[in-house]
Amino acid sequence: MRFQPNEDQATFLSVLDQMAEGDAAAWKTSPEWARFEWSETFDGMLEANGFLDCAGEETLGLTMAVAMTHRVARLPVLAECAASAVLRPLVGPELPRPIAVVDGDPRDAIRFLPVARSVVHIGEGGVRRAVLNPNAVSPVDSLFAYPMGRLAAGALEWQAANADPETVRNAWRAALAAELGGALKGGLDAVVAHVKERRQFGRPLGSFQAIQHRLAGAATRIEAAHWLALKAAQSLDPVDAATALGYVQDAATRIVNDLHQFMGAMGLTLEHPLHRWTYRARLLRSAMGGAAGNLEDLAERRWRAA
Amino acid sequence: MDFDWTEEDRAFRARVRDFLARELPSDWAALSRHGPGSKEQTEFSLEFCPKLAEAGLLVPHWPSEWGGAGRPPWEHFILGEEMWAAGAPRGAQYMNVNWIGPTLMRFGPDEQKRRYIPQMAAGKAIWCQGFSEPNAGSDLASLRTRAERDGDDYVVNGQKIWTSYAGLAEHCFLLARVGGSDKGKSGIAIFLVPMATPGIEVRSIPSLIGHGDIHETFLTDVRVPASARLGQEGEAWSIINYSLANERVGIPRYELASRVLDGMVKELSKRGRFSDPVTRLRAGSASAACEAARILVHRTVDKRSRGEALGAEASIARVAVAEADHAVTDFGLDYMPDAFSGDGDLAVQTHHERAIVTGIAAGATEIQLGMIAQRWLDLPREVH
Repeated sequence: MRFQPNEDQATFLSVLDQMAEGDAAAWKTSPEWARFEWSETFDGMLEANGFLDCAGEETLGLTMAVAMTHRVARLPVLAECAASAVLRPLVGPELPRPIAVVDGDPRDAIRFLPVARSVVHIGEGGVRRAVLNPNAVSPVDSLFAYPMGRLAAGALEWQAANADPETVRNAWRAALAAELGGALKGGLDAVVAHVKERRQFGRPLGSFQAIQHRLAGAATRIEAAHWLALKAAQSLDPVDAATALGYVQDAATRIVNDLHQFMGAMGLTLEHPLHRWTYRARLLRSAMGGAAGNLEDLAERRWRAA
Repeated sequence: MDFDWTEEDRAFRARVRDFLARELPSDWAALSRHGPGSKEQTEFSLEFCPKLAEAGLLVPHWPSEWGGAGRPPWEHFILGEEMWAAGAPRGAQYMNVNWIGPTLMRFGPDEQKRRYIPQMAAGKAIWCQGFSEPNAGSDLASLRTRAERDGDDYVVNGQKIWTSYAGLAEHCFLLARVGGSDKGKSGIAIFLVPMATPGIEVRSIPSLIGHGDIHETFLTDVRVPASARLGQEGEAWSIINYSLANERVGIPRYELASRVLDGMVKELSKRGRFSDPVTRLRAGSASAACEAARILVHRTVDKRSRGEALGAEASIARVAVAEADHAVTDFGLDYMPDAFSGDGDLAVQTHHERAIVTGIAAGATEIQLGMIAQRWLDLPREVH
């Protein structure tokens, strides 16, 4: 067992870090006070520099694709990473991206659809994919911090993906677990910075034990979620995948509520980016059956023979 | 990154399991209910640990000079997981293996090493840990037991409490205040004290966590030679910080919790009571809590195996371990309450008895949360 990245992975993560800390990924208030900031620039940088193809590299692999998903989700800006880096190698490396994923009811509003060029559907009957055309998508306003849209029924030419649906589902759960874990980490970092600075009663908010302990509890779950997602990415085992996603979805409710609690009124505004993370988390907590569905599925898989 | 066991690790675990299957008696489940500090389990450990030693499974991670085989930290850890999950057949001797022996190797003079380590490596030594006091629990540095220098001796007076395994231990790893200071970390020394020394009185405290596990220890004019001091006066804090770094992550409790959860689900399935979605969801949630604890603990072992010092990762792991233990206990209490009475399910009862101490012993959860806040999140210390 080795929790350290190998040399290539360490380089990959370090260069990714540099990009993530650059201007393209930095928080800026948007003039329209949008609830999300789709960064075509940062998304394009990930693609142009080959990051999204890391799963195919022998020394990097799917584990790095999931690690990258976590890192990108920590940013206040949006790029489409999970589907391109984790799913595309499995369902069609030639699919144009960004990619939207239908992993629930196809009639629901789907994240990334308005900016996507193709779509993958992970359904009961298997996995299929389609290239999008302008008639197929209607953007919808949403409380969630993603560009959201609906698919027009019958407007697409679906193709069955030549991929094992079970593997795709497990990889997608690992990716979602990382994306949700990363969003929570992004929010946590922002709140930790706030409570170190903000003073009340003559001392920083972050020096109060009531706040410290709840943030420490959040940090513990966020750490566990991160490693569980990476483990699931490596094994693609159904129990590992359901564990990773179910665990972080279960933790998300309390963490999100605490983060907003400690940010106070500032976190209610669009002038602070906290909502960018928490309103992603609020959507991702229901993905692929949500905590209840994933934890029940975990039980079904783990104790099938019991 | 690689989150899978190596072939070598798997083979080692299989070897430990074979050994346990062979050497644990048929009435072990009942015997282990008495608790690691009980007379029954202590006597058993004095038969069992020498066999472990003979098989090279007691101290494989120790250097060969002291009876080990210089095996990697992962093997030491796998042993810990398997022994805890098996109901702790090493009794109190796990402390020798994990930290008392290694502390002596690093800080002890030759005389102390020769005197104590071979017995530990042979599986024949029972030690207790004289740390906590009535007014020094989480705030250990406020301990008041005092050792006054008197010629070539020290004379120790004071009181310890919660002293694990004191009733049957032959020696105590004792912390006492020396010199003029009344408080603080700098005025403390370690003494290796034979429990038969006149002036030591031990009273067992009836408890929920097994018989003979916790005690009050009274020290009245206990005379120990200066040669019983480990390290210099005032060095105790840095020594125990070093030696407990390995222990800070605590017992791999999730391993027993996870196996007990397996047993509960098996029993519920047999009774046709595992098809309800809410029951399954709760079992899944307890399972996820165990896996969260497992991976966080494994991360600390990985770090240790690379020779790096553990920081707040150990505290993070401990918080998750407590959550896992409680999640499994709560599942049992909700869905199979009858297992907690009579001879319902010995494994469930043993787990529950041991799980109640999770989050309290060896560094309370609140202490861990404080360390995470200050050392991991870099939040400012609380102002008084």
